[in-house]
Amino acid sequence: MKAISNERRRVVLLFAIFCLWVLFIGASLVKVQVLDYSKNVLKVQAQSSRTIPLLPKRGTIYDCNGEILAISVKTQSVYLENKLNEESQEIFNTITKGNILSLTDNEKKSISQRISRGEKFIWVKRKLSDEEYEALNKIKESFKGQSSLEFLEEYKRVYPQKSLASHILGGVGIDEQGLCGLEYSVDSIIKGKEGKMKVEQDARQKAFDIQYIGEHVEGKDVYLTIDSSVQFFVEKELKNTIEKHNAKGGTVIVMDSRDGAILAMASYPDFSPDEVQNSASKITRNKAISLIYHPGSTFKIITVSTALETNVCYPQQIFDCENGSFQVTRELSIKDDHPHSQLTLEDIIVNSSNIGAAKIGAKLGEATLDKWIRQFGFGEKVDLHLPEEESGIYNQRKKWSGISVYYLAHGYEIGVTPIQMIRAYNIIASGGYIVHPYVIKEIQGETLPSPLDEKKKILSVGTVQRMTAIMMQVVERGTGKNAKIEGIPIAAKTGTSKRIARNKDNPRAYISSFGGFFPANNPRITMFVVVEEPQGQYYGGDVAAPLFKTIAEKLMIYLGIFPELENKNDTRL
Amino acid sequence: MKRENGTGTKKTGGILVLTGIVSFILIFTYLSLNLKNIDSGYEMQSLNKKQKTLLEEIDKLKSKKANLLNLQRVEKEMVQQLGYQYPEVSQFIKVFEDSNESNK
Repeated sequence: MKAISNERRRVVLLFAIFCLWVLFIGASLVKVQVLDYSKNVLKVQAQSSRTIPLLPKRGTIYDCNGEILAISVKTQSVYLENKLNEESQEIFNTITKGNILSLTDNEKKSISQRISRGEKFIWVKRKLSDEEYEALNKIKESFKGQSSLEFLEEYKRVYPQKSLASHILGGVGIDEQGLCGLEYSVDSIIKGKEGKMKVEQDARQKAFDIQYIGEHVEGKDVYLTIDSSVQFFVEKELKNTIEKHNAKGGTVIVMDSRDGAILAMASYPDFSPDEVQNSASKITRNKAISLIYHPGSTFKIITVSTALETNVCYPQQIFDCENGSFQVTRELSIKDDHPHSQLTLEDIIVNSSNIGAAKIGAKLGEATLDKWIRQFGFGEKVDLHLPEEESGIYNQRKKWSGISVYYLAHGYEIGVTPIQMIRAYNIIASGGYIVHPYVIKEIQGETLPSPLDEKKKILSVGTVQRMTAIMMQVVERGTGKNAKIEGIPIAAKTGTSKRIARNKDNPRAYISSFGGFFPANNPRITMFVVVEEPQGQYYGGDVAAPLFKTIAEKLMIYLGIFPELENKNDTRL
Repeated sequence: MKRENGTGTKKTGGILVLTGIVSFILIFTYLSLNLKNIDSGYEMQSLNKKQKTLLEEIDKLKSKKANLLNLQRVEKEMVQQLGYQYPEVSQFIKVFEDSNESNK
């Protein structure tokens, strides 16, 4: 009986243990499945799926022939995930010892200090070259997977043409944000939008399903009107002229007369867009749209066009040019560098007489001159979609002094930009229409309004023909003789003016300019040249006109522009 | 009666076997389709990755090509390596239009 009772007790005990075990498992299941449900679901999700940010690729910028001016390519950036200070320092020492990365002493010192401070995330270098990445990868492998050296994929902006068109393109910062130029003004279009993707992965971390979260938009490509070949020789010739005349700087704009497409826009000094962060703002400034200067004699074209269009004067009308000195008021006297007694309206332009122009201005009167200066587009921005564009300085009529018309008529008391001047000159080249210049030809997937849709007639055909004939005489026998090309009719005007903000160290600071178009009988190209503070020779006809000529000669050959020649045996160049 | 019982058992057995076979086929099809789906997922991911890498490679090559065609570089190479020279003014060729030819 005792044996049976012992046996039953053991069975009961075993049964009780079994029940407890079942209860324990049940309780554990309740804890895992019910009480900690949310926590465990998150754990599982963290193991089986991960969310990866999708970096948008910044759009590519092309020239008018499809040549790449700016492109973003994937690169690696290297950082230290500083788990152990000693290990991280050892890795960093290996990197610096091999001189793999061209780090400055300050950068090396800063990284070492951050390691010793125990910071957990330290950039070593961003946007590595392929060679740097390979060398660092070898170092990482040599530490047999224990290394805290990590890589991160990023996009790097590359400018294959180096400094070409740098003032138009501008540049980006380390995080690919536009800093200046087109990179800044169309940043919202070409940068795209960051998206995310959720990747489902198996136990071996191998992805088998992807879901896209949020809209991921790639940056749009931008096509410019700039022709890199034209831009190249324009930049080269501008640099040569500036060096030859020891000038402070300069700018050249080359435009298609027919539709306002800018083929080249060069400023000097230039910079490399890769180095935009280290370049001074006065160097990155696009002078073609932001240099404000007195147009001087180049502005006489506006005065005379207005006089002809409003029938206030006629081409053969004679003006007394006072033998070079005209006392307007007690304070104001206007002088001509080359004195003349009497000149026709045509010869006032051909010989660039300030006195003659001032007298035409006085004949026009304040109201007419003001109205037409505004009609020619002065005092307002051209709006090329480039940042830093200036609208110039042009006073409201109520602020004019009694002698403003005398000044304005020969290009003073007004501040203009080269882009405003080329737009005004192109009115004559395009048969009397004001055509808006533009640099963006196309944005991927977007229709831009045609600039020709907005063109407005300003001058009559008669005035255009008379002005073209007068401007051709400037090159044929006037101040612009240095721009003459045998067999090619050029219509242009010279300009020499004193700088607005006069340099105290250099009171003889001049701006030499030259603007015109060719072939004059069927204009294809309008060009405007400005040279700042040339030393020695400073007249527009001596400094800017030869530069115009050199570029025009190359353009004629490059674009294959040959005018109809009257004499079939003439030289065609 | 015995015969009838035997036929009934056989019928039941047949239905059971058939059900078993159909169930097996269904489960097998379901599993194989699922496995195929997962396999396709893996393949798609690997192809996507390949495509992405190739597109990045294309961009890099485009950038390299543009670098090689850099006009400053081309000019430098032409002058320094190939010995090209800028023509003197006297070396420009004047082209005359043949009046006889233009009359044709």
